Amino acid sequence: MRYREALNEALREELRRDETVMLMGEDIGVFNGAFKVTAGLLEEFGERRVRDTPISENTIVGMGVGAAMSGLRPVVELMTINFSLLAMDQIINSAAHIHYMFGGQARVPLVIRMPQGAGHQLGPTHSHCLEAMYLQVPGLLVATPSTPADAKGLLKAAIRDDNPVIFIEHESLYGQRGEVPEDPDHVVDFGSAAICREGDDVTIVGISRMALTAQRAAEALAAEHDIQAEVIDPRTLRPLDLDMICGSVRKTNRCVIVEEGWPHGGVGANLAALIQEQAFDWLDAPVARVTGADVPMPYSKPLEQIAFPHEPQVVTAVLSTFRDV
Amino acid sequence: MTTVADVVMPRLSDSMEEGTILHWLKAEGDRVRRGEEIVEIETDKATMTYAADADGVLAIVASEGDTLPIGAVIAHLGDTAGNGGGEALASTRAEEGAVTLAVSASAAKTPRSSPAQPSPPPDRDGRKHASPVARRMAADLGVELADVEGSGPGGRVVKADVEAASQTAAPAPTAPTAPPTAEPAPGTAKGAVRIEELSRTQQTIARRMAESRATVPDFLVNVEIDMEGAVELRSRWRAAAELLGEDRIVPSLNDMVVKACALALRDFPRANGAYRDGHFELYERVNVGVAVAAEDALVVPVIVDADARSLEQIAREAAELAERVRARTITPPELAGATFTVSNLGMLGVHSFTAVINPPQAAILAVGAVEQRAVVRDGELVSRHVVTMTLACDHRILYGADGARFLGRVRELLEAPLALTL
Repeated sequence: MRYREALNEALREELRRDETVMLMGEDIGVFNGAFKVTAGLLEEFGERRVRDTPISENTIVGMGVGAAMSGLRPVVELMTINFSLLAMDQIINSAAHIHYMFGGQARVPLVIRMPQGAGHQLGPTHSHCLEAMYLQVPGLLVATPSTPADAKGLLKAAIRDDNPVIFIEHESLYGQRGEVPEDPDHVVDFGSAAICREGDDVTIVGISRMALTAQRAAEALAAEHDIQAEVIDPRTLRPLDLDMICGSVRKTNRCVIVEEGWPHGGVGANLAALIQEQAFDWLDAPVARVTGADVPMPYSKPLEQIAFPHEPQVVTAVLSTFRDV
Repeated sequence: MTTVADVVMPRLSDSMEEGTILHWLKAEGDRVRRGEEIVEIETDKATMTYAADADGVLAIVASEGDTLPIGAVIAHLGDTAGNGGGEALASTRAEEGAVTLAVSASAAKTPRSSPAQPSPPPDRDGRKHASPVARRMAADLGVELADVEGSGPGGRVVKADVEAASQTAAPAPTAPTAPPTAEPAPGTAKGAVRIEELSRTQQTIARRMAESRATVPDFLVNVEIDMEGAVELRSRWRAAAELLGEDRIVPSLNDMVVKACALALRDFPRANGAYRDGHFELYERVNVGVAVAAEDALVVPVIVDADARSLEQIAREAAELAERVRARTITPPELAGATFTVSNLGMLGVHSFTAVINPPQAAILAVGAVEQRAVVRDGELVSRHVVTMTLACDHRILYGADGARFLGRVRELLEAPLALTL
């Protein structure tokens, strides 16, 4: 099953299971969604529960917040994470904080789905990875699935959760195939990381699509450098399974964090700080980071390709924790 | 605007805690360049010169004779206001405020973090670079980080280095469970206990001697050597030196022992070797270490190529090295590379004794006092100058008969001392 099909299945199953679940977004109904994630859902569930909206992100999210406060479980789709910046006020000032601001009187069980990622020559306004921005906000949960199974399991968990969830998909992964459990109650708990590959020599934490890049790099490290890397996909950034990550680092004594977003204030910057706070005495090398370039995403294909990490950069970063490279 | 970089008391040896400014090699106000030697500093071990880490105009803070702890400011390197931005001083970091340029002498001579240089000195800023886990394990295992060579990036000591070091180190003494307390222990049957911390040298001695006893299967061979001829030759040399009236060096009996050993070592390559990792390492050069008692420590300066040197050269060199040990100006290279060791306690009236092999050397010769003893020669009881020497051998490389033959050769040479002068 493909990643987009797994997401579709999660939505369909939850729409069937719980009639308070409803979808909103640009082109998600008649057009089946910009990335076809919502294909067939308008037909099955009708206009009342699958609503096409105007091109106005702040309004869509605002409607979602209101609907969630009044008892529904809306799932809002934004066409890319870059457009969510238009809805920042609703996401941070409303969705994330209402439960706190009003002493728990209101809940906002809202899911905001959106893809991110470079590689399609869509330039700086469509290609960035902004999970670090949402990671920073207390009150929001952040999921970054990298496999079809996790996409389905996490989306179902997100819909069932009473907190607002930023659900970050990856454009390049929509066509990715993978095994997906058929169990309609296949739910991946937030705050539980996945060990994608076991190893004793170094821990590589890959965020979103970079979990796959990290696994390919790990195979290259094993084949060419006799280094056995343990690859961890945190799956959710908040809550974060720091126990599993630090447990792995205590075993391997080395850690490399791979993310597609910018280096400053990034997911890796944050995670490196947490690791050195909690596992300092187990580190055999500084925590290394491989990140996207510190530039707006270039339009040019060759420039775009070198502006986000690929296996060779990960391999080099891992080697640099062992020796001078 | 004035930019200023501090020059601080550098850490010039592992055991150094403070240093004494012996002599400023540059004067106040001199413009110095990075890498130029600016000051002579005396440490607990040696006197060393220290080079500037940056270009600039020298402003001296510490006077000659001052003793200051590591890190104390001893001078500033400034770029005076009128200099019109000529040679940029230090780095832009210096402009941002208090930047300490504490770099060891060795680092000052090599460019920092040049990618072409695979392993910069691990103590380039006076601190041994080690990863956190390596530090923790070293503490747990009782491994001295200063003695561990780092294999990580930039020469950093990493976990694997500490593990390797702990395996080669003495397996015997258990790791200290608690740091020794400086507090005197409460009175026991032994009265009050004063705890003394070991110096670095003492720690090294303790570790290496325990390692030797725990890992080297040694055996002893001893021999009595008639030194009558050597003693007589020496008294003739003394008379000759007096006749020449110059400040001639008269070789000591120990110098003759060193020379005899060096010649014998050439004949017995395994005595001039080491058992290491299942191999015999046989060394081309014959370097004889001479154990010298220093204040509260034991130091073994090395006479390099002792087999190729004349007795007079050996005598001169040995005297110089011993003097430098006493004056604490001996430098690490002069203490390294021995292939054999001679330890002599004769001057303390010891009849004979045994010494602990200094690994990985194959043997060590313990020399007692040259005494007049009653011995039998040609059936007659006569008084002769005699010395007892004991050779401790590593049985993994030097077997009983080898040790005996080697010692026999030393005896032969010392009993025909003119052979040592050829």
